[in-house]
Amino acid sequence: MELLNNLYTGFSIALTFNNIIYCLVGVLFGQIVGVLPGIGAPTAIALLLPLTYKVNPTSALIMFAGIYYGVAYGGTITSVLINVPGESSTVMTCIDGYQMAQKGRAGAALSVAAIGSFLAGTISIIILMAFAPALARFALRFGPPEYFALTAMAFGLLTVFGGEQPIKTIISTMFGLLIATIGLDVVSGMPRFAFGVPQLLGGIDFIVIICGMFGVAEVFSSIEEPEEGEIIKQKMHLRDLFLTWEEWIASRWAILRGGVIGFIVGMIPAGGITTASFLAYLGEKRFSKHPERFGKGAIEGVAAPESANNSASISGFAPLLALGIPGSPTTAVMLAGFMMWGIRPGPMLFKTNPDLVWGLISSMYIGNLLLLLINIFLIPAFVAMLRLPYTIIMGFIVIFASVGAYSVNNNFFDVWMMLGFAVLGYLMRKLQYPIVPLVLGLVLGNLSENSLRQALLISGGSFSIFFNRPISLLFIIAAILAYLSPVFRWALKGLRQARVEVASNSESKQ
Amino acid sequence: MRLANLIGGVFVLILGLAVVFFSSQLTYYSEFGPGPGFLPLWVGMIISACGIYVVIDLLRKQGGKEEFFKLRTRLGLQIFITIIITFLLLPLLGFPIGLAFFIGVTMRMMGKHRWAPCALTAIITAIGIHFIFISWLTIPLPRGLIGW
Repeated sequence: MELLNNLYTGFSIALTFNNIIYCLVGVLFGQIVGVLPGIGAPTAIALLLPLTYKVNPTSALIMFAGIYYGVAYGGTITSVLINVPGESSTVMTCIDGYQMAQKGRAGAALSVAAIGSFLAGTISIIILMAFAPALARFALRFGPPEYFALTAMAFGLLTVFGGEQPIKTIISTMFGLLIATIGLDVVSGMPRFAFGVPQLLGGIDFIVIICGMFGVAEVFSSIEEPEEGEIIKQKMHLRDLFLTWEEWIASRWAILRGGVIGFIVGMIPAGGITTASFLAYLGEKRFSKHPERFGKGAIEGVAAPESANNSASISGFAPLLALGIPGSPTTAVMLAGFMMWGIRPGPMLFKTNPDLVWGLISSMYIGNLLLLLINIFLIPAFVAMLRLPYTIIMGFIVIFASVGAYSVNNNFFDVWMMLGFAVLGYLMRKLQYPIVPLVLGLVLGNLSENSLRQALLISGGSFSIFFNRPISLLFIIAAILAYLSPVFRWALKGLRQARVEVASNSESKQ
Repeated sequence: MRLANLIGGVFVLILGLAVVFFSSQLTYYSEFGPGPGFLPLWVGMIISACGIYVVIDLLRKQGGKEEFFKLRTRLGLQIFITIIITFLLLPLLGFPIGLAFFIGVTMRMMGKHRWAPCALTAIITAIGIHFIFISWLTIPLPRGLIGW
């Protein structure tokens, strides 16, 4: 009954004319961003964030959420038609999607991606509606030790999902934490790392960093290594978008499995939509009775990762709304938005701002429906956008990043700072230091430090407070295991190598 | 790329040591619990340790084939210099005209378009920035000496 009440509250907000327009703008913009190379959801939202100071927070968040899940839909088009993922979350779609397109089934690939995303997204929203309030109620038990342990676990999980070089993930996270400490210390009022520069006393604004590291840095990387591919030219009629009965039978369980995997992975801090699509693809291949079809145009190879990435983009809102912990760079940017509007996401948000929470969640139904229609009827228009010269896209990114950085404090210092972070972001990408941990370290830095200090104040300086409380202990154990995961991986790799060597030695003896 | 990574590792190490040095000048522990230097000191120590690991690891390994400078790195550098010039000119030209200048120059430089389309795009950009950001969103962007 409570769920229905919440749904009613949510739809009464999401279905206002104003919010429908914001949702439509969001999903359309997201779809465009997904199609265009060199710009992703976090960049798009970061560039728009400073321009929404005066917009109603619920409407702005509806638009940003639309961009987030819209991007996943848009990235599919380039993956299928030119074998270049518009987004990292659609990398896996390239494998079978492009093969399908070469066999003349591009329409079916795009269609199953849209339908799968819609179905999995809808399931994800329903679970989110039931799960997020429960998570928020559970989080009401959290005190400073639990929050510190939770952030420590989130940082630890970054080393699990952060790529092949965990040491660089740790460095990147520490950079984020370090940048978060710049400015006046909230407890003692002492300046930290400001070096007498007055503009640094208030800290470095998140928008400035994001505009630089995601926006302009991406421009430098894209100029250096452009993503180029040839569009498969195919006349696409409406009937080409319909799936055959066999295709539908093959993809229905893939959609469900992808949706479930996506929901679970999306909720894990640092899990993210890319990991979700990757795991869904691998899982589907393992489940399949004919794994040899994968890589040669298997429709399940498109259905599963596409369902997973959309499902994960929606479930990523659960930790953000209920705990105030972002699970991905996009939700991290949205957290910055919450801060900008003076709203603190977390367990109390469901009580203090129910209109915002339920309006946002309900808008996702509308957004997904709009995206389904857009992807069935407007695909040619988005394909045409692939011909837009990168110079124009790059120009827009630089314009939005400069205006965004300037508008934070109305000074040029921030514009130069943004450019400095762009160079840092470019060099980090080039040297394979992941950016996402820096962003999460940055947005969670204050929460982490304040919780740590409060917890130690409560305990009189004893670290046992983190081990005496069951929830905190659980998070700390998870964090330790996560930090040790590279060691486990290294040990497993060594063990496998040793086995292979033993096997080859015994074979050579025979 | 190995040398670049090595320089990166040394930079990380120096940064970590600098953080340790500056945070050691802040209060580590006060009567109210951990002081402002508590977390930065630990962060600095972790960064330094990671820096040492990266440097030692690279010194032990063979270099890869990938080069730091690519064919188009020079173009990226040209764009970077154009951005710097644009930002230097922004207080004089204002945002609409300054950023329009950037668009025009990069279109010519990167896209090899003719001057006419570059100039036309620049004019449209200036008008767009003025009306969207200054008139519609009322962001107090500097308008430069021309006042537009």
